[in-house]
Amino acid sequence: MRGLRTTALAVLAAALLGAVLLAATGANPLVAFESIVVGAFGPDGLPDTLAYAVPVAGMATALAIPLRAGLVNLGGEGQLVLGAISAVAVGLQVPGVLGIVAALLAGVLAGALYAAFAAVCETALGVPLLVSTLLLSYPAVSLAAYLVRFPMRDPGSSLPQSEQLPPDVHLPALADTGLTAGLFLVLAAVVVYAVVDARTPAGFEARVTGWGPRFAQYAGIDRPRLTVRLLACSGGLAGLVGAVVVLGFPYRFIDGALITPQYTWIGLLAALLAAASPLGTLLAALFFAALTSGGFALERATQVPRELTAVLQAVLIIFLAAATGLLRGRKGAA
Amino acid sequence: MTQPSPDQPPAVSLRGIVKRFGDVLANDHVDLTVAAGEIHALMGENGAGKSTLMSILYGLLRPDAGTIELAGREVSFDSPARAIAAGVGMVQQGFALFDSMSVVDNVVYGAEPTRRGLLDRRAATAAVRELIERHELRLRPGDRAGDLPVGSRQQVEILKLLYRQARVLVLDEPTAVLTPAEADRLFVVLRELAADGRTVLLVTHKLHEVTAVGEAVTVLRDGRVTMTAPTRGLDQGRLAAAMTGREVDLDRVYPPGRPGAEALTVRNLTVRRGDRRVLDDVSLTVRAGEIVGVAGVAGNGQTELVAAIAGLLPADGTVRLGERDVHALGVRERRAAGLAHVPEDRGEVGAAPTARLADNLAVGFHRRPPLLRRGLLRPEAVRDHAERIVTRFGVRAPGVSAPMRTLSGGNQQKAILGRELAQEAPVLVVEQPTRGVDIGAVVGIHTELVAYRDAGHAILLVSAELSEVLGLSDRVLVMYEGRVVAEFAKDEADAEAIGLAMAGVTAP
Ligand SMILES: Nc1ncnc2c1ncn2[C@@H]1O[C@H](COP(=O)(O)OP(=O)(O)OP(=O)(O)O)[C@@H](O)[C@H]1O
Ligand SMILES: [Mg+2]
Repeated sequence: MRGLRTTALAVLAAALLGAVLLAATGANPLVAFESIVVGAFGPDGLPDTLAYAVPVAGMATALAIPLRAGLVNLGGEGQLVLGAISAVAVGLQVPGVLGIVAALLAGVLAGALYAAFAAVCETALGVPLLVSTLLLSYPAVSLAAYLVRFPMRDPGSSLPQSEQLPPDVHLPALADTGLTAGLFLVLAAVVVYAVVDARTPAGFEARVTGWGPRFAQYAGIDRPRLTVRLLACSGGLAGLVGAVVVLGFPYRFIDGALITPQYTWIGLLAALLAAASPLGTLLAALFFAALTSGGFALERATQVPRELTAVLQAVLIIFLAAATGLLRGRKGAA
Repeated sequence: MTQPSPDQPPAVSLRGIVKRFGDVLANDHVDLTVAAGEIHALMGENGAGKSTLMSILYGLLRPDAGTIELAGREVSFDSPARAIAAGVGMVQQGFALFDSMSVVDNVVYGAEPTRRGLLDRRAATAAVRELIERHELRLRPGDRAGDLPVGSRQQVEILKLLYRQARVLVLDEPTAVLTPAEADRLFVVLRELAADGRTVLLVTHKLHEVTAVGEAVTVLRDGRVTMTAPTRGLDQGRLAAAMTGREVDLDRVYPPGRPGAEALTVRNLTVRRGDRRVLDDVSLTVRAGEIVGVAGVAGNGQTELVAAIAGLLPADGTVRLGERDVHALGVRERRAAGLAHVPEDRGEVGAAPTARLADNLAVGFHRRPPLLRRGLLRPEAVRDHAERIVTRFGVRAPGVSAPMRTLSGGNQQKAILGRELAQEAPVLVVEQPTRGVDIGAVVGIHTELVAYRDAGHAILLVSAELSEVLGLSDRVLVMYEGRVVAEFAKDEADAEAIGLAMAGVTAP
C-alpha cells in the first residue's frame, strides 16, 4: 500500500520535472507525454513494446536471480550473446524440430557455463564477481563478432551476420503480434524463479544470503557453492533469452543486435529497483520496456532529441530509486 | 531526587507521551521529569517502550501525543539534527560508528570544523584532543574506530555528544556490551558530566547499576510509568516488581546437573591471528546433562573458541560431537551433526534485522519437515513454527511477519535463543544469552537453559556476567589470553578465586 503510494508519487514527481525539461526545449509536455503513451500502448506501438519487453523481462529475471543473494552479475551481455551465437551455430547444423530444442539448449548451456566460470573465478581465484563477470563479457561479445565476420558469415551478404536459420528452426510466431513462442519460455522462467524464490529451501537460502553474508555463514550456507549455482542459473536464462531472440525474426545472429537495444542494462536496472523480487522485477521490466519504446515514438513525433528522452528516463529512474530507497530505509531503535 | 526549584525548571520534562506502532502501544501517556545535573535511570522489561521514549526525545520518532520541554521551553524535534541543536544527544542501543574512520573523524562527522569551506583537520584533532583530556578518557584521536575494544567505542560515542555540546545525554543500554571494569569507567565519566551540570538519562537492565550511579529511577511497564523514585534506600525487590508486575526470585539457586556421556570434546584447539595465538591450545569436555561455563574478561579468546567450535573460524585441533569428529566439517554439517549455536552478535550474525521474524526463525529448520513437504516450504508451517517459538519463549513482537528490527533488543535475543533451543540439538553453545535482556526474562532464560540441560543436552555457556556463569554452571572454566587457566567444580567455584584467575593470577 505504502509502496504503491510512494512509487506513484515518484513517477508523478519525475513527470513534473520532465515536463519542465521538455518545456524548456520548446516542446509541449502534454503532447510529448501523449506520444510516449500512445507510442508504447497504441495500436501501432503495442506490438513493438511487447516484442521489446520479452528480452528485457528475461534479462531482468536472469540478473535478479543472483541479485537476490546480493551477488551482481555484470556479465549479462556476454552470456546473452554467447547463448545467441551458440543457438544459431547449433540451429544451422541440426535440422527439423529437434533443431529448435537443440538450439535452445545450446543457448542455455553456453550462458550457464560461461557465467559459472565467472563465479569460479571468484570462489577459486578470489577475483571479485563484479570484475570477473564484467571482464569476461567482452571476449564473449568479441568472439561472436569474429564468428559472424569470418567462419559463420552469411556469404550472400556484406553485413556481419550469420546465415538465416532454416524455416523449421524458427520459433512459432503468435498470430501477427510480432511475438514468438519465446514469450512462453520467458514467462515460464519468471514463474519458476518466483516459485523457487518463495517456496524452496534453495531460494530461501539465496534470500538469507541477501539479508547478510555473516548471517548466511552462521546458518551454514556454503557461499561458494551458492555463488556458482546462482550464476549458472542466471547465465543460463540470459543464454536462453539470446537463443529466443535469434530464433525469432530475422532468424539470424546480427552483430550488435543484442547489444544496441540495451536489454541487459535495462534489465539490470529493473532488477535492482525491485530488489530482485520476482514479481517486482517483472513489473519494473515491463514498465521500462514501455517507457523505452514510448521514447522512440516521442523522438519520431516531436523532434525531441534522443538525448532528452534519455534524460527523462534517467530522471524517472532516480526518483524511483529514491522512493525504493526510502521504502527500504531502516530506521527505528531496538 | 533533586527537587526542581520554582526558578530552575527541570532539564527535561516529558508529558503525556503517546506512541503507537500499529496495534502496539509502545508509550502510553508517559511522564518523565529529570532535573539538571541528575543521572536518571530508565528501567523496564524488554519491549516496555524505553528505546521508543528515548528516540522520541532525540527526534528519531515523532510522538502521537504529548509535549517535550527542555529547561522549561517547549520543543518539538522532527529530526535528530534538531534535537542535537537543542542540546540533546543520544547513544543508541548498539553502536553507529564508522569502523574504517579515525576517532576524530567519527567524532566530528556531520559537524566538522571548516576553514574556507574545507575540513580543518588540525582544528578537529585539537578540539577532540582537548575534550579527551578534559574528561580524562583513554582514547587516542588517530586510532581507527574499528580497532577499539567496545569500552572505548562507547567512549567515542560519548565524545560525539560532548563535541556537539549536548546538555542532555541519553544512553540506551550502554553497559550491555561492557565488561564490569569498562562499565565502572563509564560511570566515572557520567558522574563528572553530571557534576558539570549536564543531565544523563541511562537505560539499563542491571539493578546494581541503578543504585550505583542513578539518583532517580523511572520504571516503564507496557508503555506506562509504574514507578518513579529516588534510588537511595531503594528496595530491589520493589523495583523488580514494578518492572514485571509480579515477584521475581532474583537469587534463585539451580540444582546441579547429572552429567552423562561426553557430548562435546575439544582438544588442543588453536586459532592464530597473524603470529598471535588468540586461542591457544584449548581442551575441554562438556557432557550430556551438564552446563560448562566459560568465564573471563571479554577479549581473552572466548569469542574465538565459540566460533571455532561452530565451524565459523578455521582452527587447528580437534572438535568431537559425541563420537563424531567434526573438525573437517563446515558449519552446515556440524549443525546437522547436532550443534546449536547462539552467537554474541545478534544484529549481524545471529539474525537478519530486515527480514521477517518468521523467516529468521525458519533458518535451520528449512530443509526438513514440517516446514518442508515434498520439496516445498509451506508458508503456514513457517508461520506456525514461528508462533510456537514466540509463545514458548515469551517473545513480544508486533507479529511474526514483522521485520526482526521492529522487535525490542531483548526480544530479538529471546527469539534467537528460542530458535536455537528448538533445534533440540545434543550440544548447545551459547554466548552472552542474557545480554540486553530484562531481569524477569533473565530468570526465564536461565530456567529454560537448566531445563534444556536436564533433558540431557550439553551446554557450553560463555558469559561476561560472572553471576550468570556461577549460577548456572556445573563446572567453570576461566580463560585468560586465549588459554584455559583454571577450572572449578560447582561447589568450589567462588567469585573471588575466579576473579583472580580472570586477571591471570592462578594459584600454584
Ligand atoms: N518500528 C517499529 N514498528 C513496530 N513496532 C515497534 C517498532 N519499534 C518498536 N516497536 C514495538 O514497540 C514496543 C516497545 O519497543 P522498545 O524498543 O521501545 O522497547 P525497549 O523498552 O527499548 O525494550 P528492550 O529492553 O528490549 O530494548 C515493542 O513491543 C516493539 O516491538
Ligand atoms: Mg531498547
